[in-house]
Amino acid sequence: MAELFVPQTLDEAVGFLESHAGSATPIAGGTDVMIDLRTGGVRTEWLVDLSSLGSLAGIDLDGEQLRLGALTKIRALEVDSRLARRATALVEAARVLGSVQIRTMATLGGNLCHATPSAEMPPALLVHDAVVEIAGAAGERSLPLADLFAGPGRTTLEPGELLTAVRLRIPASAAGSCYLRQTVRWSMDLAGVGVAASMEVDGAAIVQARVALGAVAPVPLIVPEAAEAVVGSELSPATALEAGARAAAACSPISDVRGSADYRRAVVSILVQRALRIAWLRATGDWPEGLLAPINGLLAEEPA
Amino acid sequence: MTVTQETNAAEELRVVGKRLPKLDAPQKVTGQTVYAADVHMPGLLYGAILRSPHAHARIRSIDVSAAEQLPGVRAVIHAGNVEQRPYGYGQDNIPLKPDKVRFVGDEVAAVAAIDEETAHRALELIRVDYEVLPAVFDPFESLAQEFPLIHDELPDLIGNVSMRWDFEDGDVDAAAAEAAVVVEGDYSSPQAAPAPIETHAVIASFAPDGHLTVWSPVHMVFMYRKELADCLGLDWRHITVIQPPVGGSFGGKIDIDPHDFITVMLALQARRPVRLVMSREEEFIGTRTRQPIHIRLRTGADAEGNLLFRDADVVSDNGAYNGWGSHAMLVAMNTITSMYRVPNSRIRSSVVYTNKNYGGSVRGFGNPQATFAVEQQMEELADALGIDPMDLRLRNANQSGDVTPQGMEITSCGLSECLRIVREQSGWDERRGKLRERNRGLGAAALIHVGGGARIYGSDGCGAIVKVDDSGQVTLITGASELGQGSETTLAMIVAEEMGVPLDAVHVINSNTDVKPWDVGVHASRTTFVAGNAARMAAAKARDQLLETASELLGAPIDELHVRDGTVEVVGAPERQIDYARLARRRLLREEGSVVMASAFYDPPTQKQVDHRGNISAAYGFGAHVAEVEVDPGTGMVRLLNLWTAHDVGRAINPMSCEGQIEGGAAMGVGLALSEELVIFDGEIVAPNLHDYGMPTTADVPRIVVNLVETIDPLGPFGAKGVGEAGIIPPPAAIANAIADATGIRPRAYPMRPWKVKEWIDTEERSHVIENGSPVDG
Amino acid sequence: MRVELSVNGDLYRRESEPDLTLLALLRDVLELTGTKWGCLTGDCGACTVLVDGEPIVSCLQLARQVEGREVTTVEGLAGNGALDSLQAAFVSNGAAQCGFCTPGMIVSAEALLRARPSPSEAEIREALSGNLCRCTGYNKIIDAVLEAAGSRGAAA
Repeated sequence: MAELFVPQTLDEAVGFLESHAGSATPIAGGTDVMIDLRTGGVRTEWLVDLSSLGSLAGIDLDGEQLRLGALTKIRALEVDSRLARRATALVEAARVLGSVQIRTMATLGGNLCHATPSAEMPPALLVHDAVVEIAGAAGERSLPLADLFAGPGRTTLEPGELLTAVRLRIPASAAGSCYLRQTVRWSMDLAGVGVAASMEVDGAAIVQARVALGAVAPVPLIVPEAAEAVVGSELSPATALEAGARAAAACSPISDVRGSADYRRAVVSILVQRALRIAWLRATGDWPEGLLAPINGLLAEEPA
Repeated sequence: MTVTQETNAAEELRVVGKRLPKLDAPQKVTGQTVYAADVHMPGLLYGAILRSPHAHARIRSIDVSAAEQLPGVRAVIHAGNVEQRPYGYGQDNIPLKPDKVRFVGDEVAAVAAIDEETAHRALELIRVDYEVLPAVFDPFESLAQEFPLIHDELPDLIGNVSMRWDFEDGDVDAAAAEAAVVVEGDYSSPQAAPAPIETHAVIASFAPDGHLTVWSPVHMVFMYRKELADCLGLDWRHITVIQPPVGGSFGGKIDIDPHDFITVMLALQARRPVRLVMSREEEFIGTRTRQPIHIRLRTGADAEGNLLFRDADVVSDNGAYNGWGSHAMLVAMNTITSMYRVPNSRIRSSVVYTNKNYGGSVRGFGNPQATFAVEQQMEELADALGIDPMDLRLRNANQSGDVTPQGMEITSCGLSECLRIVREQSGWDERRGKLRERNRGLGAAALIHVGGGARIYGSDGCGAIVKVDDSGQVTLITGASELGQGSETTLAMIVAEEMGVPLDAVHVINSNTDVKPWDVGVHASRTTFVAGNAARMAAAKARDQLLETASELLGAPIDELHVRDGTVEVVGAPERQIDYARLARRRLLREEGSVVMASAFYDPPTQKQVDHRGNISAAYGFGAHVAEVEVDPGTGMVRLLNLWTAHDVGRAINPMSCEGQIEGGAAMGVGLALSEELVIFDGEIVAPNLHDYGMPTTADVPRIVVNLVETIDPLGPFGAKGVGEAGIIPPPAAIANAIADATGIRPRAYPMRPWKVKEWIDTEERSHVIENGSPVDG
Repeated sequence: MRVELSVNGDLYRRESEPDLTLLALLRDVLELTGTKWGCLTGDCGACTVLVDGEPIVSCLQLARQVEGREVTTVEGLAGNGALDSLQAAFVSNGAAQCGFCTPGMIVSAEALLRARPSPSEAEIREALSGNLCRCTGYNKIIDAVLEAAGSRGAAA
């Protein structure tokens, strides 16, 4: 049985976590921590309840700069119409995370800090060059999201540090993004493969692109060489295919109950091509605004 | 849609055939229903079980001293300090394992404590010294070799084969030599789980005089009572089994399990009531599953499409103990010999032990597994012959009056009608084979299943008592059990119809062995048919008692009396009338008075199969499904777009309830087809949780179209046949056929999870066809 | 540790373990057993309740975290012994069979109808995808929610 500490300020939370390093676990939405506690995955003397730190929640959009508080609920991301238009991958990732109930409870910070390799949010944030803000007893720091992850269930946060916000850039126009995944069920499932892509276009050429992967390595991956394959021209089946192949080569999936490594690599290639194509259609205005893609990205006209 | 093939004009029904809500629904929607885990009683202790972490191991010693000393612990039991005897089919099981464990999850010890946390801490203090033994998980390995022996204590056993089920009718080899086309292939199914949302929960309490009361969701209550007594050395006259409302079973709660005995033993030692509630993980690890069945099948036909033979080699992987799960082969065999007219058939099959959680009697009981093979080969054959699969099915369809090779007497059969309905609704003729460019396909499958009981025990009967008290209230006391399937309401409707009273005048009592008359139990889709006939018979007798008195009082012969809404009237003179309440009081209050009460016992006119021959059921249910899927060729993900179903239900006593059974069954079948599996690695269920197991959600099941075909069975109550299991049977086969239509590949196993579909696409898995004796490319 | 919260309009103050879940508080302490559980991992939705009108799985919710907020369980939907329109629609459509998922299912549907009074079938499927039902195949549950939405619309 764990004791509960309810800090009233961020400083109090950080101070307590630092002075109880190794014996205190932060809890926000609780959807991961409560399971870990019951199954023995986490044993802790103290739970530090962050849920009353209201200032850590919120979606602030200032021009192209988006700041998401760590306690922002996944459900809040899912239903935000600005994000649906300008950070579609984020909404497409949010809407497939657990159930409505789970999304109502779960927080963005919790999803990132639990560091599950198959987590939905990291790839969708990585394609927006997300940076995380971190508070600790020694002050604040920030680092690229990709550097937050150290391995399955492990982050690079120091004892006592808390993730407080995520900052990302969401272009106002001529840009598109997409998050797709492979699952067994069409809802309430973990990704066997998760793929996010984003791009900005100028005229008919892609000027910047990002490809990120989930569930196919010990940590979420950003794959610059895959994105580079499509930069500099319009998206073609050939450039998308090359990007897919590079992404498949870059990942290191395991074989488990959710498919073999070879299968996952093949799916990475396919989903990267589809995500790029949908992002392209969005960036070029050929996709209905706000319409979310089928979760596997299979479009009706796609040939067998 | 309801299609009635024949109507009996003389029979005007007022209650039967109406869409009526379940009698217990208002309590359920308000949260007032008290399930086993909701029961509060003074002094209740919490039970917990220590299970084997090894798939196969000898128990050298158990040390429970530390657990016993933990404050709050009131009982710690293991094989060394309890009295217990072997139980189960084949007597190969015992509640607490004395010397050997045979799967990960086998019961070793148990505790009862003042709260859950203390009980679990006590479990952690029990020290068991195991000698780990080699284990076998693959049924084919288990079949081929005699080592390691899983049940070395059973002297008559040869190797790990627990049962053989062999059958031959006609001359398969001669038929194979004549066949224009033969298809052959292997078809497999996984270990799956019934997975009701309510996990198992049992409460046991001994009165000071030694009388035992058990609250259990089990649905073969009388056998349960006997097995409790036999195994634990109790006097079964002093055991009451009460069935609280059940949060779903699907066969998972049909039978007695080690945890039932364990709860009673804990209560005995603690001298306090004990409740044991399974966690979800335990539910997957330690309660009964659907057995994997591996079928190698050949089907042959002549050039016109007349079926000539089926030839099957079958291995049923029933896990560490036999239980009734071994009998899933009985149903699988029925389908292989008797789905469509098959003039020659041969089956060689083995039920083998493996070091895994063992099979039980899960909804469909061997039939989805067999139908997956049989119905895929119908479409494979049709395609090889260049005949439409629906035409092939109709050509060979079972018909009323048929007697199948195993002696099953088909008295009512709507199979052809079911096929025609789903063919039309799905646009089969215009669309099958033409959707591949859009990654879509259509596939069909039909079913045959017992619908009038299944005689696997000496009696297949059910008792019923109907009484009418001085208020006019009618009470049915039935041997049957309500599991959520709606039997309470269906039986009440039958009684209301027969008695001539409105439904709300009928109460049903069905949950207490001290009160209710004997019944085999809820299994084999038998309750509406068997318990329904019993209830109808008892109701008719009670009505006759009332009519006898009415005849005296109204001065009119019985055949001139008519009952409407609980009032007896003289035909042609409705002003001469008297209601049931007054009639009941007149019988009660007169000299040498009597209560209005009648009992009946209905045992269907069926045979226990000898050498697999005999009319096991008094009626057989039929049905057909068409599935439409979209297959993602890149990921292998399959989306079920449509499912059209038509079922021969005999008569829909309550059409809404029939639909509910079929829709729910079909959704379970969709889960089997596409997502559900207990993945086992090194004998251990890898992820015993509802997330990884893959039960379908609202996003996985499309709107299921249900058509009810009424064939008015000659023996069923008002013509009804059983329908509880039927829905789950066709989907794996129909969806496999739809995937084949969408892609050209031939699925070989379910669940058809994405990576398997992708693998079949990548390796171009095709039908294996032999034409006039020579293999051809599929 | 003391916890104070409102459940179905009644204010409760109880001593509880600090890591007690809302589910355990409701069922074991307050004896409001209408809320069920089927997994304790948030996968089945049987324990769904509303917190300030939003649906959550009470098995993963620390009771202490909802201090001062309004919790609504299935017991809080029916007024004056009558059935709420959703409950009535579940009864008349045959949407409850074994009934074990039903309280959570109805609470999830209630949350949906409060947010979207006239949902499409697709929106209903989305809103209920975290509530597993093993009995019905979902047809009749969806019918019931559609019917309740219609009857509320007509009454409004």
